[in-house]
Amino acid sequence: MRPVFEARRLSAKLILQILATLMIIPYLFPLIVMVQGSLAGEGVGNYRAVFEVGALGTFFKSSVIISVSTILIVYVLTMLAAFGFSKLQIRRKEIYFWMILAALTLPEVVLLTPLFATTLALGVYDTYWAVVLPLAALQIPFTILIARRFIDGVPDALFDAARIDGAGTFTAFRYIVVPMTRPIAAAIVVLTLIGSWNAYLLPLVLIQDPAQQTVTLLPQFFVSQFSNDQTKVLASAVITAIPEIVAYLCLQGLFERGLSAGAIK
Amino acid sequence: MTSTTSPKTGARRPSSTAPPSPGRSRGRVARPSGLPWILPAFILVVGLLYFCIGETGYLSTLDWDGTSPTPTSVGLGNYEQILQDPIFWQAIWHTVIFFIVTFTAQTALGFVFAALLHSKVKLSAVYKVIVFTPVVIAPATMAPVFRQMFAADGQLNWTLDHLGLGFLSQPWLAQSSTAMPVIMFITVWNFTGLTFVLYYAAMGQIDPETLEAARTDGASNIRTLVSIVWPGVRGTTVALGMLSVIGALKTFDVPYLVTIGGPNYATEFLGTYIYRISIPSAHVGYGAALSIMLLILALVGAIAIAVRANRKDSETGV
Amino acid sequence: MLGSSRIFKRSPLGAVAALMVGALALAGCAGGAPAETADQGSADSGNITWWGWTPDATPAEAYIKAFNKVYPNIKVTFKKLTIDGYDAAIRPALASSVGPDVFDVAPGAANGSVDIYGVNAIDLTPAVEKTLGADWKSKLAPIGVTSLMNENKLAALSVGSVFSGTVWVNKDLFDKYQLTPPTTYDEWLKVCQTFKANNVGCFVQGAAQTAFNEDTIQAITDNVAPGVWEKALKGEVPWTDPAIVKALGLWKKLFDDGIMQEGALGMQQYPDANNGFMSGKYAMVMMGTWYMQYSTIEGSTAAISGAGVADAKPFTQLPIPFPDVAGTGNVGALYGDADFGLAVNKRSKSIAAATTFATWLGTSAEGQQVVADVLNDIPALVSAQPNWDTVKLVNPEVQKPALEKLITDAGKSTEPRLATVVADLQTAIGVASTTVAAGEATPEEAAATLQATASKIK
Repeated sequence: MRPVFEARRLSAKLILQILATLMIIPYLFPLIVMVQGSLAGEGVGNYRAVFEVGALGTFFKSSVIISVSTILIVYVLTMLAAFGFSKLQIRRKEIYFWMILAALTLPEVVLLTPLFATTLALGVYDTYWAVVLPLAALQIPFTILIARRFIDGVPDALFDAARIDGAGTFTAFRYIVVPMTRPIAAAIVVLTLIGSWNAYLLPLVLIQDPAQQTVTLLPQFFVSQFSNDQTKVLASAVITAIPEIVAYLCLQGLFERGLSAGAIK
Repeated sequence: MTSTTSPKTGARRPSSTAPPSPGRSRGRVARPSGLPWILPAFILVVGLLYFCIGETGYLSTLDWDGTSPTPTSVGLGNYEQILQDPIFWQAIWHTVIFFIVTFTAQTALGFVFAALLHSKVKLSAVYKVIVFTPVVIAPATMAPVFRQMFAADGQLNWTLDHLGLGFLSQPWLAQSSTAMPVIMFITVWNFTGLTFVLYYAAMGQIDPETLEAARTDGASNIRTLVSIVWPGVRGTTVALGMLSVIGALKTFDVPYLVTIGGPNYATEFLGTYIYRISIPSAHVGYGAALSIMLLILALVGAIAIAVRANRKDSETGV
Repeated sequence: MLGSSRIFKRSPLGAVAALMVGALALAGCAGGAPAETADQGSADSGNITWWGWTPDATPAEAYIKAFNKVYPNIKVTFKKLTIDGYDAAIRPALASSVGPDVFDVAPGAANGSVDIYGVNAIDLTPAVEKTLGADWKSKLAPIGVTSLMNENKLAALSVGSVFSGTVWVNKDLFDKYQLTPPTTYDEWLKVCQTFKANNVGCFVQGAAQTAFNEDTIQAITDNVAPGVWEKALKGEVPWTDPAIVKALGLWKKLFDDGIMQEGALGMQQYPDANNGFMSGKYAMVMMGTWYMQYSTIEGSTAAISGAGVADAKPFTQLPIPFPDVAGTGNVGALYGDADFGLAVNKRSKSIAAATTFATWLGTSAEGQQVVADVLNDIPALVSAQPNWDTVKLVNPEVQKPALEKLITDAGKSTEPRLATVVADLQTAIGVASTTVAAGEATPEEAAATLQATASKIK
């Protein structure tokens, strides 16, 4: 990929490097305080204590299942809908679009009670679906908005050309939209992962089975009514965050390689 | 995917040799209906969440504690009360300022980071991780960390003292005047990673040849950024603007967990107010009415941004 | 590749979509409130779930284990929720048919309010009469019974009570600087000056978490004129009573004179103030009887380490009466409520087994002994006392008499703490405490605002 910002001289390179470093400090500072906190008291023992929480494996398994299912649903539905909104003909398109976006505006705490009733009625209460479906529904307005804007940037000429070549809509979707939206898809996957991995209230309320609890419930082993072991809460947070950061790096890498190899361009 | 078409001849290049611009080609080729494409997402979202909106709308006409079997219907009484509620207006005012500051800061920082890290800065993977990490950490976890950092004897004051800036040190979260900027800082810290990721993706879409052409013409880096890259990612900026309006109105986690909306309502937002009213105070009806107000304000705000963006699009012919 | 024919011109998605519409429409019709259960199930077997924000996982396990020695066939699953998440989670759960069989409630406006969720509970009076006899009321701490009533029904059985009104001191720090715990305002001021001169924090309060401000202001008011606070809570005297105005003035003075730590309004009692005290940064903190558990070697070490101190070494923590800041000589007031009680969900499918568990923990000698030994709650059963032979204190010589006195005094107290404070009033008291502290309102103005709000509450 060609840099959007190019420093050819050494002095310019140096200035860029210093600028980036200065800008990063405020972001780094709280993270350092956090990691420091997670190592206070019993030091590495805090991490050991988190790993010794019996159900850690189960928690991770549940979170992985919930996140992967949510990502799949969100990705597929978002791409289809964003393509529809951006490049296909729909009467009263904007009304549908805003109806979807309106769902983004309710605070989670207000959603909880009605969602509880809905999941019970759907018969999915106390299953992964009870969390996956609402999570996906809450994520999709956001991802459609982002993806639609991105697909708007794909030249119409490409689709017209494909149509002249006799390709069907799905073929165009499959061979133009899917590969060309790889950068935004990576972002969508990462953001959905964060949304579902960090979901706290929904699994807490909608899943009762202890074998299906998620990693976000980890800190509560160290927080109670009259005590609050901050060091282990922070250690749990670090452990919970690592899979997300790794996923981000992998996806980012994948998407950058895809671009530089000229897969589409 | 080898030889069929070349997107390089696409719309972004300001060249007269390109095929007819997409804006004009729209009328000529009849497009297939997109309805089946949007339907699954539409049904999932509307089907699952509109019941919640309907229910909230109904609750907003009640005076109810959430469990009593006999709620009283008050019609639009709750809404009348909201319009006279000084805390509501204070929350709205906070939201407006909060939106302007955090949106500007997040957008600018996210854009600059994306541009910087698209260039060949050393250790860029490390920078990316640092900017991105705050997005994945739950505010509930970070709240005590920030309270500690900004405490009178916290790390920030310690650092200021050691930099010879001791006169600046103060109990940040204990004063109405400084609590809000701290909440804004935490929010920007939290969400720059998000804007960064989206801008980073959007910059990948900018036609490299356009950039190359600009450079060949001798355009400076700053010039390229302002006149090619920034307009090139405008779609993302608009989307982020809409999301930020909604997000600002819903702001809950950070002020609730860090300052509990205090001191003395200095950091009260609509989101924290709704929570306080609906859950601890158990005025479910009033809380629902506030939620509906939030929904309306969020939609109005987001639509305003979208309309403004569209008008600008048609003016500039993009 | 783009040359392939129009296979997918019309996608099959429409069908999927139609199916989903059907499913969701069906869902809308199928909803409806579940009925109360008539069948109570077996009293000594079955599976029950228990939701609560307290106790911790470890004591909960201890309770259940002791319970299963008596009732091996009732399997209890405890689901611990956070304090913040409890109300959000329990409300919809109780409204459904799949809620917990047993759930925590507490008096007052805090989480799990018995006034709100008591309507979902069965009346436990018959069950208690059966286990403790007709004079059951004399065997239980009165504060636990009255504060867990919901409209004439005993909605929950208190497991234990907590009282506030004490200040806890780090005796090792006092000894180190040859200080004695203060009993008057002037002594308090001097103690703080000495600590400050040695770079030790004096008194710490998380004033952003206003429920704890209420504790301190109630202590000051009780010192100014005993009984006035309780009367104000009952609406018998206005909040503008001179005693309360004076108390607010003294509260403000604590900030002005630097007894209160700098930046108190930006700190929370938990975890900030608690960690500050546990890590030895501050010598005094306003906490109640729940702090007794940190007098043990084990409890203290864990709390200190949890506050981020490496190689945690327990120190001697002692309760002292709130200093006589008004100079009236009225000291030693304690006020409290049931900490939490167990309620039985009236929609439970195993009401009988759930009742067995709730009555066992709240009224049986075995159950209450476990509660007493944890030193978190003052037991609900009057006859239960901590077993001092098994409880390992850090400094038994000074701590044991102090704790025994605290437990005895608390048992005599009838002054309510938060039980009768509804949420709106609690908010208003909180506003009064912070506006006065920040100098945004005078004590008179704040009291007037508080009274204006209080008079509007139904």
